[in-house]
Amino acid sequence: MNKIITRAITKRIFSSVLVLFLVITFVFFLLRMAPGDPAQKFLSPNFSPQLAEQISKSFNLDKSVPEQYISFVANLFTGNLGSSYTYRLPVTKVVYEYLSFTIIFSLIAFLIQTIISFWLAVRSVKNINGSFDRSVDKLSLLVYATPSFVIGLILILIFSVQLDLFPTSGTKSLNNSELPFISRMLDYFSHLFLPLITLTAGGIAVFYRYIRDNINDIYNQNFILNLRAMGCSEQTILRKHIIPNALGPFLSIAGIELGILFGGALITEVIFGLPGMGRLTIAAIFERDYPLVMGCTLAAAFLMILSNLIADLVKIKIDKRLIKDLLQ
Amino acid sequence: MRNSKLFSAALLFLVLLTLSCRKDEPVSSERLIIGISADIKTINPLYSFSVDEGSINDLLFLSLVRVNWNETIGNIETEPLLANEWQWSADSTSVTFFLRNDVYWSDGIKLTAEDVSFSFELYSNPQVQSKFYGTFEKLLLNEDLSIDLKRSIEVIDSFSLKINFIPNTNIKLVDVVLPIVPKHIFDKYEYDEIPSAEINFNPVSCGPYKLKKWDRNQMIVLEANPNSFLYSDDMIKELIFKVVPDYNSRITQLKKGEIDIAEQIKAEDTETLLKSGKLNIVSVKGREFDFVGWNHIDPKKFSESGELVKNIYFSSPNVRKALTLAINSEEIISEYLINFGQSAVTPVSPIFKEYFNNKLQSIAYNPAEARKILKSEGWSDTNNNGIIDKNGTEFSFTLYVPGGNPLRQYASTIIKNNLKAVGIDVKVETVELNKLIDNLFNKSMDAWIAAYYIQIPLEYKMVWYSDLDAAPFNFVSYQNKDLDIIIDALGKKIFYEKEVELHKQLQEIIYADQPVTFLYWIDNIVAVNNKVKNYEINPLGVIQHVWDWRLN
Amino acid sequence: MKLNLKIWHTVLLIWLVIIILRFERIIELIELLYSYSLIIITDFSFASGQFSLSLADHIAGIIIFLLIPVVVIYFVKRVQFFNKKIFTSAVIIILLMFGFLFAPIITDRNPDFYKDIAVTKLLPPLSTVKEIRLKEQKSDDNNKQQEFISVKNKAIRLSFDESVIYCDSAIISGNELVYYQEGNPKTILVEDVLPENGKYWSAKLFVFGTDEFGRDIFTRLIYGTRISLFIGFCAVGISFILGLLLGFLAGYKSGWLDLVLNRITDLFLAFPVIFIIIFVLALFGNNMLAVILVLGFSGWMSLFKLVKTEISSIKTKDFFVSSKLLGVSAFSLMKKEFLPLILASVIVNIIFQFGNVVLAESALSYLGLGLGNEYSSWGSMIQSGQEYITQSWWMIVLPGVLLILTLLTINDLGGKIKAHYNPRIKYD
Repeated sequence: MNKIITRAITKRIFSSVLVLFLVITFVFFLLRMAPGDPAQKFLSPNFSPQLAEQISKSFNLDKSVPEQYISFVANLFTGNLGSSYTYRLPVTKVVYEYLSFTIIFSLIAFLIQTIISFWLAVRSVKNINGSFDRSVDKLSLLVYATPSFVIGLILILIFSVQLDLFPTSGTKSLNNSELPFISRMLDYFSHLFLPLITLTAGGIAVFYRYIRDNINDIYNQNFILNLRAMGCSEQTILRKHIIPNALGPFLSIAGIELGILFGGALITEVIFGLPGMGRLTIAAIFERDYPLVMGCTLAAAFLMILSNLIADLVKIKIDKRLIKDLLQ
Repeated sequence: MRNSKLFSAALLFLVLLTLSCRKDEPVSSERLIIGISADIKTINPLYSFSVDEGSINDLLFLSLVRVNWNETIGNIETEPLLANEWQWSADSTSVTFFLRNDVYWSDGIKLTAEDVSFSFELYSNPQVQSKFYGTFEKLLLNEDLSIDLKRSIEVIDSFSLKINFIPNTNIKLVDVVLPIVPKHIFDKYEYDEIPSAEINFNPVSCGPYKLKKWDRNQMIVLEANPNSFLYSDDMIKELIFKVVPDYNSRITQLKKGEIDIAEQIKAEDTETLLKSGKLNIVSVKGREFDFVGWNHIDPKKFSESGELVKNIYFSSPNVRKALTLAINSEEIISEYLINFGQSAVTPVSPIFKEYFNNKLQSIAYNPAEARKILKSEGWSDTNNNGIIDKNGTEFSFTLYVPGGNPLRQYASTIIKNNLKAVGIDVKVETVELNKLIDNLFNKSMDAWIAAYYIQIPLEYKMVWYSDLDAAPFNFVSYQNKDLDIIIDALGKKIFYEKEVELHKQLQEIIYADQPVTFLYWIDNIVAVNNKVKNYEINPLGVIQHVWDWRLN
Repeated sequence: MKLNLKIWHTVLLIWLVIIILRFERIIELIELLYSYSLIIITDFSFASGQFSLSLADHIAGIIIFLLIPVVVIYFVKRVQFFNKKIFTSAVIIILLMFGFLFAPIITDRNPDFYKDIAVTKLLPPLSTVKEIRLKEQKSDDNNKQQEFISVKNKAIRLSFDESVIYCDSAIISGNELVYYQEGNPKTILVEDVLPENGKYWSAKLFVFGTDEFGRDIFTRLIYGTRISLFIGFCAVGISFILGLLLGFLAGYKSGWLDLVLNRITDLFLAFPVIFIIIFVLALFGNNMLAVILVLGFSGWMSLFKLVKTEISSIKTKDFFVSSKLLGVSAFSLMKKEFLPLILASVIVNIIFQFGNVVLAESALSYLGLGLGNEYSSWGSMIQSGQEYITQSWWMIVLPGVLLILTLLTINDLGGKIKAHYNPRIKYD
């Protein structure tokens, strides 16, 4: 059994690396096809035209594109992602700061999404088509249909501007480092509360509907009836049979959702001014900061593939028959 | 069931705890909080490319002279700063500076003339890529545009140096105003190592303020430097540049008193800011104007063969005048800018009280006159389809607008409608700023809306000169020999009265030709908390000479 | 007595309501139709020179509108759907369809029309201003061509109109009419004014208020329906074709084609979609075509996976294999054997994808990457409204509510169709 699993994993890792490579190459050439170049912001009547030329040269932009690609890939193998044009810092350093925030933020959001949607789904199915089920269903539809920027703007209007309960932006207050540990944690919490709601609202709605349908299907199956007839309590049925069976299909969309979260929840970051990967990537693209864009792409693609892989591995652990999926 | 109740109770408790424990940030009378829209990249005057970087670097690093704005004459004046006094030579081709001897770097070393000379070397070196690279045309240069130090800069002793200029050029003291950097720090680096050096994030400085800490993406904190000759006890002790990327957050924080100053305020928010009772509204006028660029040459022919062929629509000054008449820029000024702006007719704004040619009236909205002129130029609606035409070609083009700027989006809608009313068919296309700049250099657009941020002192060559290689920013390809003569004359050494006259003549020529349709001068609206005293916000900038500011 | 309102009843009801409310306008458009038909017969070259998209829009619109009862009666017997009982989503869809097809009939002005910004800008819903109409210059020629042009100019609303003035208030003083705009008085001669029912000025109602240019939001919402739905249809069309074809190829011809397509799908999924969007928009500009392409190309993946899994399982079934052995081509196989089976799930997928596209378009506009000011799509209305969020909430709320309603309706419709084909799932 183990041999099959290891073979499957290695095959998967190989294809993942291939995809990663394809993504990077695609982005590399696409970037250079876009009009405009990194030295452009130095073209202004306030600066000398020779400045832009010099800067272009120092970015190696005077070499041909295939040459640049080869040197990029070569550097990649030594772990050197180059220096960001805008920050004048190594790309790894810039990405690290934003990435750590995004990873922590995404993981928290993901946990919240999963726990709340599961709880809601189970509660709904218990009294299926009852008042709780119907109201949550309608509410989730409304939340699903409302764009996240509308949710975020409304939250800011109500809680920040009118009621002044939460800050409007940023991750911490000015004097955060001077506070004791607990106050510091609470300060972070108060800054991230509204962004988390904005980010998870849509996700909860999607997860909830998916899980609820799943659980409902499982509940209706014959073997549950058998278990009940045999005298199993509802609690055990729920814990030992329903949830594990529901986890399978859930994990595939969970993997994708986590990957998307890692990519940077752009709209939430823009509304609340959070230092995340989404904003960094957009800014890098607009500035044509090639090395930084490559770094961000690499990070996002890598995390997406990683989260899918982990999701699939967990699936296998639960149900070994699903190895076939992994092999694909 | 019980578990879920416990969970919700815990969550509620956490939220309540947070709300009650939120410590209000202490409002110190000794600190000033400035709201900026984005974090800075480096703290090094060599690379202060953005306005915020410039403001911060000017507080940490000093120049030879201090530049002030004289409101009455509408021009700049200089005052001693690092240099106590200076002497011009008899023929005005060189100037000798005598420096103060009580200026210390933050590591204790004294500032000397060697630092000044070395600074010039760095600023003009091609591998250092400083913001002033290539701009020292009035000094004697080497082939790679770096300053020929042996002939241009003579260090006489530790506290005096002489700068030699190219004779017969229009030399001003501001040509040598640049923040001085420490030689003993930077000469340890190779030239090409400097752009990414660590020192850029933790500088050694000599100004009235020094860097206390820099929390990336959160804030930059400066503290008063008691060792500086500019220090005084009632100076503001701490300056915090707080990064607030979202505009609406800045407004909210201004109202709540969480930040004390912010610029680039939108006109429609000034009312609510004033209502809060805490704030004053001041404007920086006359530095930036929006315009509609009309391409004088045919973009297709240019992209095919590089030839300059006249544009069928916009090459005639009369047609351009008609377009200006047809555009209701007054409506934009009164409705969108809420009069935080003035009508513009030339690239010289009214703040230059002596240079400004006030005989030139603004071109008022007059669509009937516009139609008359267009008809006289041969454009009329022969087939009654609502669009005027001439020799079988309809007057129809695409107007490009850079994205992300609400004022230009607003203006594009008004312009499109105004021109439709005189029979011109306009399609508006929003493009990303980088693409627009690309298109500008390729001269591939018929018309666009853009802005110019004018320099002080006024410079014209790069934008309005006929030789398109010498004027890379002459995107409309405007060529007028008379204008060239004036621009050349302004580069030479001339008397002040003659200079004023030349500026006025230049404005007359541009007014008559309407190479672009000047729309309006835009005010940079600044909100300042009442507690700030003794500040000056003038065309030179918002955050200047903060060591003179006081708090209530 | 319980009202058993069927779908075709509702369609006719709405049709009647529009006729009653917009009677004058409909007459105007019928006049246009008549006049243009005459011109086509008598002076074809002039008629073809006058042809334009907006003319076609108005004429086609009025023709279809007048034919509605005929269409309904024809289909009532043939399509079972029309006989169903009415439900909320259906009403909304019918209203949206009416808005989409008959925008020039329902609304009174061009969506880009504005005048006297000082008076009309940022007005809340149900505000009124005074409207003064000036007498128009009569042209000198009096031939058939000129007649047609005057009929056309009356019927097809333009984005500018020099013969109308908006003001806050007005009084007559002698032979002069003095009107006030934001407190500034202006005068015109009474003889230049066109009176209506004996009065020199009338009240202009803005049902949903105005935006920052003084443009009527109700009109912009109706025309915005066209933009948003059009983009939705096109983008979903692209996703449908891509997903179906690629999915079929991948599932049917396994082997290297399947592998490559799998990798490409993974590529697209691993690729942060936001990149593609910004790149394409940077390359092509923020125009309609670019936005449609971008949205179409980012939505085919789910259909692809669905189609691929289905065909993989059907591939081995007897009926399929026998058709193949009989020599049926791959394309007909797809059309005749495969498509009918998966039609249900494909339709459901498309409908949800439509919702996603409408949502994505509004998100793009919010980020400033959408269509911009040129078109009044709901997303761009929300984006411009954002600037005025503190003063003019209606600029965001009204398009926002419409957006949410549309999305809810689409999801509801998708759910109903799913339930229709899958009776095990209870749906109420």
